[in-house]
Amino acid sequence: MQRPMSRMFGPARRDVLKGMGALGLAGLAGLKPARAATRMNYMCWEGYDKASIIDPFEAANDVEVSVDLITDSPGGFAKLAAGAWRDFDVVSSDSPWIQRMGPADIAEFLDPAQFADVYGDFYEQFRAPFAPLEFDGKVTGLPTRWGWVGPTVNTEYDSLESWASYDNCFDPAYKDKICVLDWGDWPIMPMALHAGINPYEELDDAALNEIRLVLRALFKNTRAVVADLSVAQKGLMDGSFRTLIGGGTYCTSALRKDGMKHIRSIVPEPKNGLNQGIIWMEATGIVKDPSDPEKARALLRHLVSPEVAVELAWTEATCNLVPSAKAEALFSDEQKDVLQMDYMWEAWDKSQFHNVAPNIDQMLEIWQQELAAAN
Amino acid sequence: MAEPRSWRDGAVRLTTLPLIAIFGAFFLVPLVMTAVLSFQGTQYYRLVWTWDLKIWRDVFSQWHYWSIMLRTLSMACICTALCILIALPVAYALVTRLKDWADHVTLLIVFAFLTDAVLKTFGWVLFLDRSGVLNGMLEGLGFGKAALDVLFSPFATMIGMVYSLLPYAIFTIALSMARIDRDLVLAAYDSGASRWRTLREVTLPLARPGIVAGAVLVFVLSLGVFLEPRVMGGGTSPMAAELIRQSFETRVNWPLGAALTLVVIVIGALSLALFGGLALGAGRRARA
Repeated sequence: MQRPMSRMFGPARRDVLKGMGALGLAGLAGLKPARAATRMNYMCWEGYDKASIIDPFEAANDVEVSVDLITDSPGGFAKLAAGAWRDFDVVSSDSPWIQRMGPADIAEFLDPAQFADVYGDFYEQFRAPFAPLEFDGKVTGLPTRWGWVGPTVNTEYDSLESWASYDNCFDPAYKDKICVLDWGDWPIMPMALHAGINPYEELDDAALNEIRLVLRALFKNTRAVVADLSVAQKGLMDGSFRTLIGGGTYCTSALRKDGMKHIRSIVPEPKNGLNQGIIWMEATGIVKDPSDPEKARALLRHLVSPEVAVELAWTEATCNLVPSAKAEALFSDEQKDVLQMDYMWEAWDKSQFHNVAPNIDQMLEIWQQELAAAN
Repeated sequence: MAEPRSWRDGAVRLTTLPLIAIFGAFFLVPLVMTAVLSFQGTQYYRLVWTWDLKIWRDVFSQWHYWSIMLRTLSMACICTALCILIALPVAYALVTRLKDWADHVTLLIVFAFLTDAVLKTFGWVLFLDRSGVLNGMLEGLGFGKAALDVLFSPFATMIGMVYSLLPYAIFTIALSMARIDRDLVLAAYDSGASRWRTLREVTLPLARPGIVAGAVLVFVLSLGVFLEPRVMGGGTSPMAAELIRQSFETRVNWPLGAALTLVVIVIGALSLALFGGLALGAGRRARA
């Protein structure tokens, strides 16, 4: 019989920690006053932990938020699924993983009626019912940040028109001038779409083989498969990489924020009836059995409020769009320019939504196999 | 004269208990847990207790895992050989010719050694890049633009590996050479041996423990290098550590990651046993 590992432990770790915490507090009574009445644990990406986001919430709710930063969404999901859901209250991660958390029984389903006012502040495209964050019609989280995956181009070296398709990735003239970002499934999906395959549908062997061939051809023309954003950005700035594949706005905005407005992320034109761009989105959900459901909902509402959305859009490492339409009025013209807001709905119209791909493990295995054979 | 102490002595066994406890808690237990994990499965990105051989069948049937393991093994062997070859003259010079400067040179090596690995690796990227310091210098010397395009290649990975691991070889060999009785070297000279012959027949055999220790350290650490192939190698020649990371993180397949971890450990142990056996045989032949 197969038993999920997270169900193998007896008492909830949260309860044990609570007991230990109570004992500790009893011991320290009189020595160190508690900073806040309650404590919450929040798993999130970098940026969500900004003091300007967390501090006002802590002050308004008399709560201490303890942040656990994730460096990759699958890792965060695996950690929660392995039992850490007992320790956390709220989680912010990539939307396909938040969507998975509901049916995986590690996140609460939300009542959209409770967040009707929040949805009302969102752009029309993100309002309920919002399929990318639903499972069987039940809501698993609220969108918090978004952007698009497409070629990132330094227009001092290449025209945007030359990246109206991914053809250059396979052009011998671009050999050793392409950088592919090693960010999980992000670089695989655009290549599948370029090959005329919708990776978000159930794929047969022939389709998977087509993805294998397109990845093989890509690696032959690629100078580097880079996981580190700063290496990719450096190469893009000095022209040693003509374009970054598999990144998009997430790796462009920080450069544009630093004044490099000649660097843009675009979306190729639709091909074979398939949109070639991909809309990525981060979302926030409430972890199963939060210690204080009221406070967990309050943090969720706080994160999607227009004022906090602006803070979330504008962080040290990366700048990204937010789903709040109300927040748009709070951005300066400079910020709107950095975020390529003039282009966002065109990118949206030419894109697929990044979702749970049924064959993702096979595609990742193909990626591993082709990368192993690349050199 | 005190009697030699034996393993049958209860007091000796008692003194080893803390070490055995640490070894058991921090090596054997995790190793057993890793082995147990490799017989499980995943379902919907969660670990399920299946107790089957599916992952192992997968590991043994997929060629790309083994091609990455072979690449890792060969890179580790080359790195070990290069480190020993470079460390030998450096250590010899530190112990003999540069005695007055040994402290300063050692300090410099330690300083570089203790600098954060990420910082060092990114420093190499800036140095080796097409538009980096090295190519800038070469261009100044008239070699043209981007004369040495080695970044994002296995060669760059090797530079990073040797740079990171060389101090292990230098220090172990230098320590070994420093303990050599100088009179033995002088006796060889007195007997008419040339410098080369003295080095070959006196110094190197006596420094063998340090050479072997350095080689083992470098080899074992080479098998697990992660940053160098990922950053300097450009990711297109992945090695074992990256494969394991991908399995754990990107694919969220912990049993596969655990199985591949065990494969690397076994390959490392078998290689060391093989090298150890060869070294022992060579030593016996030399004494005979």
